[in-house]
Amino acid sequence: MLQLVADGFIIGSVIALGAIGVTLVYSILRFANFAHGELLTWGAYLAWTALIGIVAVWGPAEPLGPFSFGWPLLVALAVSAVATAALALLVDRLLFRQLRRHGNAITLIMASFGAALVLRNLLQFIYGAVPEYYSREIQVAIRLVPRDVLGGLRITPDQLFVLGLTAVSVVGLHIFLTRTTVGKAMRATSVNPQLARVTGIDVDRVIRATWIIGAVLAAVAGVFSGLTVQLRPQLGLDLLLPLFAAAILGGIGSVYGAVVGGLIVGLAESLSVPLVGAEYRAATAFVVLIAILLIRPTGLFGERT
Amino acid sequence: MTALRVVDLEAGYEPGLPIVRGTSLAVEPNEIVAVLGPNGAGKSTLIKAIAGLVPVSAGKVLLHDRDITGRAAHHLAHEGLGFVPQTENVFVNLSIEDNLDLAASILKVPKKQRLRDLYDLFPDLARQRRLLAGRLSGGQRQMLAVARALVGEPKVLMLDEPSAGLSPKLVGIVFEKLLDVRATGVTIVLVEQNVKAALAIADRGAVLVEGSTRIVGTARDLAGDPQVAALYLGQHRGGS
Repeated sequence: MLQLVADGFIIGSVIALGAIGVTLVYSILRFANFAHGELLTWGAYLAWTALIGIVAVWGPAEPLGPFSFGWPLLVALAVSAVATAALALLVDRLLFRQLRRHGNAITLIMASFGAALVLRNLLQFIYGAVPEYYSREIQVAIRLVPRDVLGGLRITPDQLFVLGLTAVSVVGLHIFLTRTTVGKAMRATSVNPQLARVTGIDVDRVIRATWIIGAVLAAVAGVFSGLTVQLRPQLGLDLLLPLFAAAILGGIGSVYGAVVGGLIVGLAESLSVPLVGAEYRAATAFVVLIAILLIRPTGLFGERT
Repeated sequence: MTALRVVDLEAGYEPGLPIVRGTSLAVEPNEIVAVLGPNGAGKSTLIKAIAGLVPVSAGKVLLHDRDITGRAAHHLAHEGLGFVPQTENVFVNLSIEDNLDLAASILKVPKKQRLRDLYDLFPDLARQRRLLAGRLSGGQRQMLAVARALVGEPKVLMLDEPSAGLSPKLVGIVFEKLLDVRATGVTIVLVEQNVKAALAIADRGAVLVEGSTRIVGTARDLAGDPQVAALYLGQHRGGS
């Protein structure tokens, strides 16, 4: 039982970080971006490329303490975050910005489907379909709770790293949104873009900030997924529905809702495995989603209108 | 030098369908000018076009003799033009403090003193500064909307129907506050349906009919003008 909960939190961390981007884009740019999953995939692969480059120049590094990776992966993660943000800004410049001027929400949603296809196939063309790994080091899981207490709990240091960095990212984002001018401008623009403009806020700048934050968190989520599972071109596509389930369950537009929604979806997926089998785990997230929306149609943290 | 001059302005939401049709208006520094007119006359569209929120297809807008026609709304806030929309005029998901703090981010000087001055002008807001703007009553919300527009030290403040949805008592309080704001050197343009209240504080008024300025005069003259009363009673037949 404890093991399933821990596994759920690890899957949930990846989903939560991805869902933050989905909900931010929805609340500020007013459309559901179905290409967001591809940012996770690109983030994961760009980090892998940076890792190979770093190792080629500086040579392989010793793993950091109990982790399976050394300092090159942390640098690769930072490089990937910057590159994924640049990719998101490029897609916005080439596609979404043009459609924002003349199109409507449906046009943008359909365009995001197109962007997802292009990004996924481009990635598969460049990297191929064979799964990759950041490290092939075998990690020994640490026993945190003995087997006779609720089935016990074993967790790898890499998984602890994922949980820790997710918590740091969420706290960092909270501070950013509540304490900085850009963060407050993002919250203001999400409720009233026209008022934001007459208040002197450059909404285009806010939109750029939204893409950058969403893409950075997507890159982190992608790397976490690659670190705890493996790198596959379908990584983002497989996570797309859970990301949207988490964002809707938490209350679309709410960052904190996306985090809680991500953890709930992760837990639902993990806890359902002994009951329905691993092949139906994704479906359970939707059962939870439907159940919560029946009770609270605006999601857990959504505004009632 | 006029504070705000509108010359033969044409503006509308759809290309080829102007709502404002050749409107002209001149507002002197430190004046309160009420823009009046029946429903659908184009009053709100006029000030939204001045504020950069509605596309301008012809004519000019000059702010202290500088051409600001068609400039983006966020630039105009930096140029010294404040705007209070009729509805949804505060950020309901931010506290009073954050509403004002965000508006102060356009200031080039330290914002602490400016915020202190505003809290002096609006002591009710100062007392509840941590409160979420969405929890404020209609009158308090209107005060915050005015304060938010004033933070950036505008030379000209435009308000779209600040009395809308307020009780007569609150209208009196809000309009009295506008006189205090004028006393700080701000020029005010007021779009209003509440003719009596608007003309009570205005120096001059302009009556818009079907998108163009029909009557301009002092507030006292307009208050006693039977033509203005006729327009509001729906007796207008398209030419006078």
